[in-house]
Amino acid sequence: MKISYNWLKEYVDICLSPQELADRLTNVGLVVADIQPVEDDFCLDIEVTSNRPDCLGIIGVAREVAAAVGGSLHFPETNVVSAHADIFKFINVSVEEPILCPRYTAKVVRHITVAPSPEWMQKRLTCIGLRPVNNIVDVTNYVMMETGQPLHAFDLDRLAEQKIIVRKARIGEEIVAINGARRALFHDMLVIADGRRPVAIAGVMGGAETEVSNSTRNIFLECAEFEQRQVRRTSRALGISSDSSYRFERGIDPEGIDHASQRAVWLINDCAGGEISGGTINISERHETRKITLRMERLHKVLGVEIKRDVAIDILKKLQCNILNNVDKFIDLEVPSFRGDISREIDLIEEVARIYGYNNIPTKTSIDVRGSTKNKVEIVEDTIRQFLIGLGFYEVKTFSIVDTSPLQSVNLWSDKGGIDIANPLRQEESRLRTSLLPSLINTKRYNMHHGTEQIKIFEIAKVYLAGNKLPHEKNCLSILADTDYLTLKGIFESSLVNLGILSECEWITFSEPRLFRDERAARIQMDGMTVGYFGEASQELGFKTLSCLLEVDLDVLIEKSNFIKKYQNLPQYPTVYRDLAVIVNEETPWSSIEKCITDTKIAFLKEVNFFDVYRGKQIPAGKKSIAFNLCFQSPDRTLRSEEVDIELQAIVDSLQRILNVELRKT
Amino acid sequence: MSDKLEEVKRNLQDETKTIITRKDAEQLKIKYLGRKGIVNDLMKLIPALPTEKRAAFGQQVNFLKIEITDIIEEFIKRVSSEAIPKVKTEIFDITLPGKRPLIGKKHPLTQTIDDIKEVFARLGFDVVYGPEVELEYYNFEALNIPSDHPSRTDFDTFYIRDDVLLRSQTSTVQIRIMERQKPPIRIIAPGRVYRPDTVDARHSFMFHQVEGLLVDEGVSFADLKGVLNQFIKTYFGQNIQMRLRPSFFPFTEPSAEVDISCSICGGKGCSVCSYSGWVEILGAGMVDPNVFKAVHYDAEKYTGFAFGMGVERITMLKYGISDIRLFYENDMRFLSQF
Repeated sequence: MKISYNWLKEYVDICLSPQELADRLTNVGLVVADIQPVEDDFCLDIEVTSNRPDCLGIIGVAREVAAAVGGSLHFPETNVVSAHADIFKFINVSVEEPILCPRYTAKVVRHITVAPSPEWMQKRLTCIGLRPVNNIVDVTNYVMMETGQPLHAFDLDRLAEQKIIVRKARIGEEIVAINGARRALFHDMLVIADGRRPVAIAGVMGGAETEVSNSTRNIFLECAEFEQRQVRRTSRALGISSDSSYRFERGIDPEGIDHASQRAVWLINDCAGGEISGGTINISERHETRKITLRMERLHKVLGVEIKRDVAIDILKKLQCNILNNVDKFIDLEVPSFRGDISREIDLIEEVARIYGYNNIPTKTSIDVRGSTKNKVEIVEDTIRQFLIGLGFYEVKTFSIVDTSPLQSVNLWSDKGGIDIANPLRQEESRLRTSLLPSLINTKRYNMHHGTEQIKIFEIAKVYLAGNKLPHEKNCLSILADTDYLTLKGIFESSLVNLGILSECEWITFSEPRLFRDERAARIQMDGMTVGYFGEASQELGFKTLSCLLEVDLDVLIEKSNFIKKYQNLPQYPTVYRDLAVIVNEETPWSSIEKCITDTKIAFLKEVNFFDVYRGKQIPAGKKSIAFNLCFQSPDRTLRSEEVDIELQAIVDSLQRILNVELRKT
Repeated sequence: MSDKLEEVKRNLQDETKTIITRKDAEQLKIKYLGRKGIVNDLMKLIPALPTEKRAAFGQQVNFLKIEITDIIEEFIKRVSSEAIPKVKTEIFDITLPGKRPLIGKKHPLTQTIDDIKEVFARLGFDVVYGPEVELEYYNFEALNIPSDHPSRTDFDTFYIRDDVLLRSQTSTVQIRIMERQKPPIRIIAPGRVYRPDTVDARHSFMFHQVEGLLVDEGVSFADLKGVLNQFIKTYFGQNIQMRLRPSFFPFTEPSAEVDISCSICGGKGCSVCSYSGWVEILGAGMVDPNVFKAVHYDAEKYTGFAFGMGVERITMLKYGISDIRLFYENDMRFLSQF
């Protein structure tokens, strides 16, 4: 809300510079975002929070200034001198929706002269960014800015059948608003209608057909209260907002309506002449005053400082609360009508604290000592991050909301589609992602285009899978690394060891051509459960490097991780090593060889370590040679060479029998 | 017996000093390790020992044998290389740069979240998480933001369905925690939040917040100031000042915006702080009784405070980053700086 410094000074005595004033206002919660000199005046742009509609008028700001700084208040003149014919001769007003329009007042001014408004008024309106129109419109704007109460002037002669009806819109009705917007109205919207049609959208905007023009002679001046939510709903549904709707949405001072109405006709009379009709059409629901009790003990408890009763009462009086009863530990009071935001004791506590000064409340640390422990999610994520950055990986963060391209539609974890956003900003960001890998691929591309060819990146974030009421948010770890297949696979395997996960992984052939190179991808299974997907990046992705992709279900890793460690005695007896190389068919995977060996269940066999695969001159076509190392150990004695040889022979026999391997001389 | 072994070792060390040629070394090897050498002589002593000592002594002799072998082999190697005088064709350049392994980095936002978590962990706050796709109730009603209320304008939100949305604030986690836990509560909740803001240098439709909540008997606004002051001094520096301004959040009452003295200009005024000397860093306040009502807490018995801060904003302030989009572009030249 923009205010004029000179205008403000008319209502409150202050001897502060605009900057000093801004600082004082900021300290009580009216943040002054900007101060601009305008001719011999200053425009202060005040950020008014949505709970303080009373400060959407300059008088309201003046009240705050008086409470915060001191200085007496002066309210503007509103005496109306003359009274002519009875208002009911000119108009008949009825309110069909008293809940949506709790109070409706109107005045009629006849025989006015529409002309530019006086220079002083134009100057003030211009200072706060309003465009002067004519003396009638300018007065309604001026009074709204002064009091916070919106008003609307109709051209009386254009109101059909001399009627004003506050009612709901009828099906098929439409209106062209003052700003030129044509809108179809819906039956739940509140309108001001004449005998034939809607002439204004209640509280939002008047209609173009009945607006005040240069030829207007007689006006009908509306000053009312419309229900907040109704105004907000209508304004949003029609896409029309105005200074008026902004104020009604937040709530106006129900007791300020008569004052604003009188003030406006007085100014109209002053600027445009005319005869003011006697009497006011005043259809009203009674407003109850709010009485609240403030307990001194509660004030102390919430703020943590003992504010003396006299001080509290002084503050509340400055805020124009009416102190009813002031005994010992309680203050009973009545809240002024313009402070609709104060309805509870806690609201009063805030008011006292605000004017007392937040910075005058002590800084205490009387809370008790308490230990906190890291949860498993944090431990696992930290462990993975430390491990990967130690290997030269960069952590990235990419958006959870993505486009609907085929790449971004990759869904490794669910058969169902992704979750769409009903009100996206742009089509490029309209769906919650189902995989992190497409975003990592885009990050790789971005860096390629900016001169970084080699990249090793990872992200820890959620994917969003269709669920019941709420989606299933799965924590994932995804990696994109410019390495060969076995290098990244090894990094993943080591990271499992680092998390204390002992379960073995199975690597099962998998195909997702949008991500992975054909025949070089795997679904990773652990204890019968899918934990991730891994493979060489598809050549279609256009990378110039050999890259690998991994996406793992982090929730499973968190569940299976184990950081409890127990010391194992070091082996007392030496390990015996034997190397073997076998020639097998191309189709035979290492996992079959390994399984065949471990299935022999030889007690002394501790480890089987692959070290080489060879294809070449000495190996027949369609075959490959696989070399590995076997470790034998006994917990209670030194193994003799001959007994290891017997075990080794058993392994070779088994390999020959089951996999038809051929032993290669090493 | 082990004295004897020690003596053998000492003698050997003396004798190695006389080694000049390879031949000298070979002779020494025969003397100690040969078939009729000193070590074998020691072995011969074993059968004469009491049964229970044989094994231990045997082991000791074996160790000695290995040790002697190593020492003599080392000398053989040394004298053989010295014996052939080399022509110095190349000079080892000790100034060549080392082979540096790549240094990986945590994302700067993760670093900030970790730092915030650490400060609050020391003050006894546990880290908790909540869903990002939320029921409207947790994002609004339970936080005292009724529908059609003008304060909703401050919280424009992405919707999935009528009553399901992307949380626009991490305050949702307050409710989820209080629903399943009784006081005392002391938590922080970091996470992603979403608002339909058009992306520019200062806005992003996705960003990170850290929410904090402390509820107990006898918690006051002064305690809120105390905890936030601790955080600010630890995180930003002991010389940083804190200022609170009244503000409005539907879920706290009284509410405050918290500013810190500008670390760039030291409070004198610069472009970062818009020449005010202060920068806004978080919002806070005492938990509104209506929020306690929503989670069935006795608002007379318990009081508490909540606070929320934007991770991007704090990170930008700390490093002097002027464009929020840099965090999500993930340019290696950006990430490598932190």
